[in-house]
Amino acid sequence: MAGVRTLKTGISGVRGVVGDSLTPHLLVSFAEAFGTYLGGGTIAIGRDTRPSGEMVRSALVGGLLATGCNVVDLGIVPVPTLQIACARNREIGGGIAITASHNPQEWNALKFIRFDGIFLYPHQVEELLNVYHQGEFSLCGNSQVADVVIDQHAVDRHIEELLANVDVSAIAEADLRVVVDCCNGAGSVVSKRLLTELGCRVVAINDTPDGIFPHMPEPVPEHLQQLEAAVRQHNADIGMAQDADADRLALVNECGKAVGEEYTLALAAEVVAARRGPIPLVANIVTSRMLEEVAARYDCPVHRSPVGEVNVVMAMQQAAQQFKRTGQTSEDDHVFGGEGNGGVIDPRIHYCRDSLRAMCLILEGLARHGQPLSHWIAQAFGASAITKQRVECPAARLQPVMLALREEYADQQLDLTDGILVRWPDRSWVQARPSNTEPIMRVTAEADDRQHAEALAERAVKVIRGVVG
Amino acid sequence: MRALKLSIAGVRGVVGETLTPELLVDFAQAFGTYVGAGPVLVSRDTRNSGKMVMACVVSGLMGSGCQVVDIGICPTPALQLAIKEGPAVGGIAITAGHNDATWNALKFVREDGIFLNPRQNEELLDIYHQGEYLKAQWDELAPMASDPDAADRHLQAIAGQVQVSKIRAAAVNVAVDCVNGACSQYSPKLLRELGCAVVIISDEPHRPFPHPPEPSRANLGQLRAVVRAVDADIGFAHDADGDRLGLVGSDGQIYSEQMTLCLCEEMILRRGDPGPVVTNLSTTQTVDDIAARHGRQVHRTGIGQAYITESALNYRAAIAGEGSGGIVFPRLNYAHDSMAAMVHILELLAGLDRPLAQFIEENIPRYAMSGQQVACPTEQAFSVLETIRTQQLPSWALDRDLQDGIKIMGDGQWVHVRVSQTEPLIRVIAEARDEAVAQELVRDYLGQVRQLV
Repeated sequence: MAGVRTLKTGISGVRGVVGDSLTPHLLVSFAEAFGTYLGGGTIAIGRDTRPSGEMVRSALVGGLLATGCNVVDLGIVPVPTLQIACARNREIGGGIAITASHNPQEWNALKFIRFDGIFLYPHQVEELLNVYHQGEFSLCGNSQVADVVIDQHAVDRHIEELLANVDVSAIAEADLRVVVDCCNGAGSVVSKRLLTELGCRVVAINDTPDGIFPHMPEPVPEHLQQLEAAVRQHNADIGMAQDADADRLALVNECGKAVGEEYTLALAAEVVAARRGPIPLVANIVTSRMLEEVAARYDCPVHRSPVGEVNVVMAMQQAAQQFKRTGQTSEDDHVFGGEGNGGVIDPRIHYCRDSLRAMCLILEGLARHGQPLSHWIAQAFGASAITKQRVECPAARLQPVMLALREEYADQQLDLTDGILVRWPDRSWVQARPSNTEPIMRVTAEADDRQHAEALAERAVKVIRGVVG
Repeated sequence: MRALKLSIAGVRGVVGETLTPELLVDFAQAFGTYVGAGPVLVSRDTRNSGKMVMACVVSGLMGSGCQVVDIGICPTPALQLAIKEGPAVGGIAITAGHNDATWNALKFVREDGIFLNPRQNEELLDIYHQGEYLKAQWDELAPMASDPDAADRHLQAIAGQVQVSKIRAAAVNVAVDCVNGACSQYSPKLLRELGCAVVIISDEPHRPFPHPPEPSRANLGQLRAVVRAVDADIGFAHDADGDRLGLVGSDGQIYSEQMTLCLCEEMILRRGDPGPVVTNLSTTQTVDDIAARHGRQVHRTGIGQAYITESALNYRAAIAGEGSGGIVFPRLNYAHDSMAAMVHILELLAGLDRPLAQFIEENIPRYAMSGQQVACPTEQAFSVLETIRTQQLPSWALDRDLQDGIKIMGDGQWVHVRVSQTEPLIRVIAEARDEAVAQELVRDYLGQVRQLV
């Protein structure tokens, strides 16, 4: 990796390449910064299955103990499990998740979590980075060094909560055959068990928690061929694929075809809206229009936010607040949302993307619906094709790119929530925005068919390439 | 600000002040870079900060591709033996020895179980200063392993060095002070194995040090009281990480730490282990007297564990040790070993036909030692020493040694002027048959130093 700058600090935390930019020194300093920022107290940590997780974990423990913190180590857990653990335990003042989600194996990263189990808000990340850069940490003396406690039951508690909030008997009665692909990631320690307890007949593939990814850990169709084949082989009703830290879920239908990760949120929203009525539905700006279809069906207001889990959560919290003023009883029922990349956020459990909650909702829906997944999808949603592209674009070229795009679409109404979004009356749209994690522009387009979507995307890509060169 | 200390004794500092996580991580990476990817054993003493230091060290070692093996809380000589006997490429002991609990430190051990020698320590420091470390890729990282039996294997090895049945038969009545340090869970066990009736003080590893963890006279009051109260035959005091041993006699007499070496020397030379005796320049001349009685030579080195063990190796010594109570038994391992010293003294005791106090009276010549120090900025220290070195020797002088400052030896007396390795001081130590003479020697040379500073 010589010559390529790989360290990335930003609202999603700090991420880098092991053996290159992500060094024990950097990690221990970030841990001290976090401990200093929170003023000590108890901090929970958890990790995905990446082999570098132990090295990172050790650095975090060292840095946290050095700033007088108590550490609760949850071990290898899905990120939502860690987030929920922070929220449920009053003593926990914050958390750090060790995971680089869908990035390839040589990466790892830290994501910082608040006392309430939500990722740090952007202004808080800024404050944390200031502490880190200042380099003055609140180190404690020998007698104040606290303890590391191992908590092996966070997954048990997560499963318990999930089972208490889903119609287990309906799912069990449907006797569904499920193939789950955990990508040898954090889902490996929980998914098979959860699905079994839901009464499904489960075949688990890639559920060895060793972090040796059998395919790229992003649950998009091109990575799911093995799962597709397994669904066909086992005659399964549904295939489910998780990413490395089990916050995202994608589906394969009963014909053994990956339906596309956008359907996860769409189907989950359908299930929730059908049950809870006209609550606000919230997603990021590049999530499929299928959300609006669900909203139309159940009279739900829709809110769109900038990309990023924490942005969606903030928008959800705001929407829930507004809705509460209309006089409902429990705030957690007042909103539902997520991201079209397969991230479902249901505050009934917690304000976090949770592939396990997504599994529960979708299986409940499938069981109730009584029809194969492909039928359910065809009935619930109009034809839609979505394409997601990436174009290299160094930060220095961002401004001229944005200007060029605005010029290109000058005769349209533009949504500038996060980059630039153009919508057409036939409900097709294209969106272009800089990535939070890489030096690229992401272009997403949706239309009734693939050809149209790709044409829309291509137009924007051409403009960008024209500026970048 | 209590400064960071980088020396041949490793890197040591105050937790929360100079011993920062970044420093620990970097030194661990430097060491991992130095020894290369391979198994590296890590141990610690009972200091509360040990878990923090451990986590930083583990991360740094892993980052450089080492396979970390955690052997837990145990004496440093146990770590050294485990490294020597296994496939490890090196190890780190997390202990600040006799420093108080606010300190912690890293001591670096090489493949053969011996601390890095001064040259090797410099090489390690060079790597640290350059800041270019081996950085393992994601698929080159090794998971952590543990070896919780290393300390017990050490006990077995120690027991294997002595005549266990002879010691058992003597049914020695022992009091032992573990100072709530790394020997807490091992020394009492070993003593019981050897058939001793044991009264234990301070064997709780989770509690703080009840007194400074150094087995010197000032810290042995409680042990003495217990020895008297239970009428023990002998009292043993360990330091925090099991390398030094202090002694209290059955009459409640607190022996100087020098006695530990003398008794061990007597034991080993009686046993007939071949080779000379190695000690440092500041240790009592009693060592020479005992060696002479057995027809052996004595080689003296500069102050510091690393010098002792190097010389013990080079001279193929029968025994080596320092007046601080740290003894090396080459037949066991080239490591300072408090419990090994304890056990050898028990064997000596078991073989005596008279009380220990009487034996000492009759066979171990006693001298009076006196010492003082004066502050001296590092820049000046060496020129001060040069002046003293080059001046004319006093009439009583028979020989001198310039290895470490200057030591002037006479008949039954000597004086040693040297610069401290760890603080901005010049130390003057003298020994003579007569206490007044020793003190006079110190006063004389201290005065000379003071005039020059």
